Amino acid sequence: MTEPATIDAAVEVRDLTRTFGARKALDRVTFDLPTGAFLSIFGPNGAGKTTLVKVLTTLTAPSKGTAKVSGFDVVADAVELRSRIGLISHNPLLYPDLSAEENLVFFADMYGVPDAATRVRELLVAVELDHRRLDLVRTFSRGMLQRLSIARALLHRPKVLFLDEPYSGLDPHAVEILDHLIEQIRADHTFVMISHDLVKGLALCSHALILAKGKVVLSAPREELDEAEFAETYRATVGLGVA
Amino acid sequence: MAGEARGLSLRQFKAILHKDIVMELRTKEMITSMGLYALLTMVIYQVALSQSGTAFDPRNIAAGLLWLAFVFTSMLGLNRSLVHEKDQGCLEALLLSPVDRPVIFFAKAIGNLIFLLIVQVLTIPVFAFLFLQQGSYAGEWWMIPLALLAGAIGISGVGTLLATMSVNTKGKDFVLTVLFVPLMYPLLLAAVSATSAAVLGGDGSVQQFWTGMGMMAGFDAIMLLASFALYEFIVGA
Repeated sequence: MTEPATIDAAVEVRDLTRTFGARKALDRVTFDLPTGAFLSIFGPNGAGKTTLVKVLTTLTAPSKGTAKVSGFDVVADAVELRSRIGLISHNPLLYPDLSAEENLVFFADMYGVPDAATRVRELLVAVELDHRRLDLVRTFSRGMLQRLSIARALLHRPKVLFLDEPYSGLDPHAVEILDHLIEQIRADHTFVMISHDLVKGLALCSHALILAKGKVVLSAPREELDEAEFAETYRATVGLGVA
Repeated sequence: MAGEARGLSLRQFKAILHKDIVMELRTKEMITSMGLYALLTMVIYQVALSQSGTAFDPRNIAAGLLWLAFVFTSMLGLNRSLVHEKDQGCLEALLLSPVDRPVIFFAKAIGNLIFLLIVQVLTIPVFAFLFLQQGSYAGEWWMIPLALLAGAIGISGVGTLLATMSVNTKGKDFVLTVLFVPLMYPLLLAAVSATSAAVLGGDGSVQQFWTGMGMMAGFDAIMLLASFALYEFIVGA
């Protein structure tokens, strides 16, 4: 399939609704995200953040409304879209009984990555796991799992990267490495990140969005945000103190 | 473009199958549990039939006993084949890739078929040793592997579909059993009939064998096509 003609917006969401029985996990969510932007999504537990990412990554179908990522519709062009997105979750999405290298080779095959061996080696070096490439993933620490998870997500050179609480459970050193990796690839990718950490999320983002009860409470470019006002809105919405 | 897509699908199919075999060789979870279960079932059969007396010929119920063991053994393995995909969100990662869902189905079903055939190969000699005395096997030898293969294809195909359905449910073992046994009923009847013809031989056994094989082939074709069509919906649910 050819690339869509206009992809100025990396993500276009219009009246997106997702229901589970009587419960509305997403309620007419609408926003745009330009190509190359970094969107941080904030909100309390159950706000619909993960459901939104699941819809945008084609893992869950929307009940109503439309969503396009890189110009591809999440329902009609799901297969084509999947080869253009990557997901880094707090869950590593790796097979514990395969080695680091075997995991990456497997996913390279799933994405049809050309010259997979070279690409795998290149990414293992980039995430500083080359020396552990033959070790089973079940022996890895949380930080190492997350680094390998990043390599998995980048294998097929996706245009849009979704990060679902990627810093969750990481020690300070692993946070540093993840920060460094994101910085390295920042210029070539569009990011959509779910975060509970307001400081971290705001520091990284070019756009911010607050979701509550499935609805968009606030959506704005970073430069238009007054930090104190944003924190107040966040606090009022989430009902929690801001660290 | 179509050739490219076919090439990618083949690469994905081989990758999933290879990954499942490598993981099984490493963990031996399925083969060990299925093999042990099948062998223990044989021992229980022997105890159960030990007081049946000399007038009773176990060959008359041999096919039924065999398929009973295979059905319950396969249910044990089928659940495990999907459970490791759920570990650490691996199924989600698989579904995130640009793979046509039927490719996942066929790769998982072929993997399950291979493991079930291995268990069958291990079980048959033990069964023959315990229940089929020397010289008592009256059918054509080639009928047995054909009947086992046709039955195993149906079990693996339907089982893979149902295991995918049940893996997200709370009582997955219970759900799989409740769905699996009624759906497998026609296949089991045909498999027992064909295997009985192979074991007992005699007049009309070849015809009985081919009738059973025909029914199994029909069941396999219908169920595999239905699984192929439904898998996208089921795996995404």
